[in-house]
Amino acid sequence: MITSILTNQRNKELSWYRELLVVLIRRNLKRRYRGSFLGIYWSLLNPLAMTSLYAAIFGATFAEYYDNSTLNYILAAFTGLVVINFFSASTAQALSSVVENGGMVNKIRLPLFIFPLSSIGANVFQLLMGAFPLLVVVTLIFSRSLLNVVALLFPFTGLILVCTGVGMLMSALYVFFRDLSYFYELLTFVLWISSPVFYPAEIVPEAVTRFLILNPILPIIESIRQISLSGNFPDFGLIIHSLLSGLIVLTIGTVAFSSWRSQFMDLL
Amino acid sequence: MQESIRLDGVSLWRRTQEEFSYDLKRTIFSFLEGKYRHPAKKIVLDNINLTIGCGEKIGIIGANGSGKSTMLKLISGILQPTSGTVRVKGKIAPLIELGAGFDPELAVMDNIVLYGVMLGYSQEEMRNRAKLILEFAELESYALVPVKGLSSGMTARLGFAIATDIKPDILILDEVLSVGDVSFKNKCSQRMEEFWQDHVTVLLVSHSMEMIRQNCHTTIWLEQGQIRMVGKTKDVVSEYLQCVTHQEENTPSVTTQV
Repeated sequence: MITSILTNQRNKELSWYRELLVVLIRRNLKRRYRGSFLGIYWSLLNPLAMTSLYAAIFGATFAEYYDNSTLNYILAAFTGLVVINFFSASTAQALSSVVENGGMVNKIRLPLFIFPLSSIGANVFQLLMGAFPLLVVVTLIFSRSLLNVVALLFPFTGLILVCTGVGMLMSALYVFFRDLSYFYELLTFVLWISSPVFYPAEIVPEAVTRFLILNPILPIIESIRQISLSGNFPDFGLIIHSLLSGLIVLTIGTVAFSSWRSQFMDLL
Repeated sequence: MQESIRLDGVSLWRRTQEEFSYDLKRTIFSFLEGKYRHPAKKIVLDNINLTIGCGEKIGIIGANGSGKSTMLKLISGILQPTSGTVRVKGKIAPLIELGAGFDPELAVMDNIVLYGVMLGYSQEEMRNRAKLILEFAELESYALVPVKGLSSGMTARLGFAIATDIKPDILILDEVLSVGDVSFKNKCSQRMEEFWQDHVTVLLVSHSMEMIRQNCHTTIWLEQGQIRMVGKTKDVVSEYLQCVTHQEENTPSVTTQV
């Protein structure tokens, strides 16, 4: 009987977390767009503008690596940008989320991990409304297969896991180090340059390529490109690699967050 | 009598304010120079043992910084004790600061749902109750106005209306009832009166001895993180006042000596 009471309590707690997540995601989105639904499409403006810029500058030079097609280069750059933009926007928002809500958690009992999660969640919603449907269309055109569209969900799951892990880690560190955002900007820039977003992976010297394995975003970009642009059957190796990368980063983030959590309240 | 709140050997250590190092750069440098020290900690609550039964009305008094608010935060689950256990039975309405969970950019209606969910109710429940809450707060015509457009009194009214809309098992009040205009104050005290009549456990922190005397049977006097005295409100308050006036008589002579 006692166990049934306990599970009952745990279920209650879980459904409370779910409700909290929903209202906080809605709050984040509303605050960003002030209720204008079209606002979400502004988030597409950035990758589209960047893509055309890259195409104008590098398109001609790099086309040879993409079967001599500028269109292929444009699509590769766009998919890369969607991923890297999602990563930097969602983790940067997660980074400050716990500290920003510090006043509130001193007045009401709230689970602290809900704040980085809701920042990531708001960005996931934005992705699903904006760039993701575009990628689905591109995938359908290239592969003519619904299987590839379904497979697209896996590398994106990997991406969300990576961002959640990094977001948890950074939001925890930011409680202790308020100058972290400057360092973090540098870190995202390194990650951005070291991901083959606007250049073909082939031009990187072999000595450097070895270090690029450390970049958790890399297998995700590769997998998404393979599924949506190659027109081939989804590569399971790449999918598993991107999911694994997500799980590893998520584990690191969760462990760090939960082991430092007890010290948070003294500093918020 | 059934227990409602129980604190067993509860102590809480917190970092002292001076030791806040919010700086990664400085921390790295001090590490490299070998000057890094573990942050100093200070005891805020020291071995508190306390049992509060269902339906008791408890007053908490003491000087600033004696740990009153900290104790309420422990009971509400906002803070975790360093050692000891805190056991609480039932739903808590923590009126520690009215409207602490509000988002000033969002409309009143959205904030009702947001704040309600934070307090542990479901979204659906809150939507159903929104009308009654607006009515009680006398803000029916403000449902779509962002909270930053409300006056501070209105915000407090809204916070009070949401937090007390559903009868809690335990009500925690930290100097919050001194808000709003006279007519709303009356409305608040009317609702409080209902809670007081019912079997709601109430914890009230106040510097107004009048308020404590009027409302609480039992009073706890905290001093420097320890319970100095627990007992009938009448006795504790008079002892406390005596002690305070005694100190006041003594302090001037001390300063002149220095």
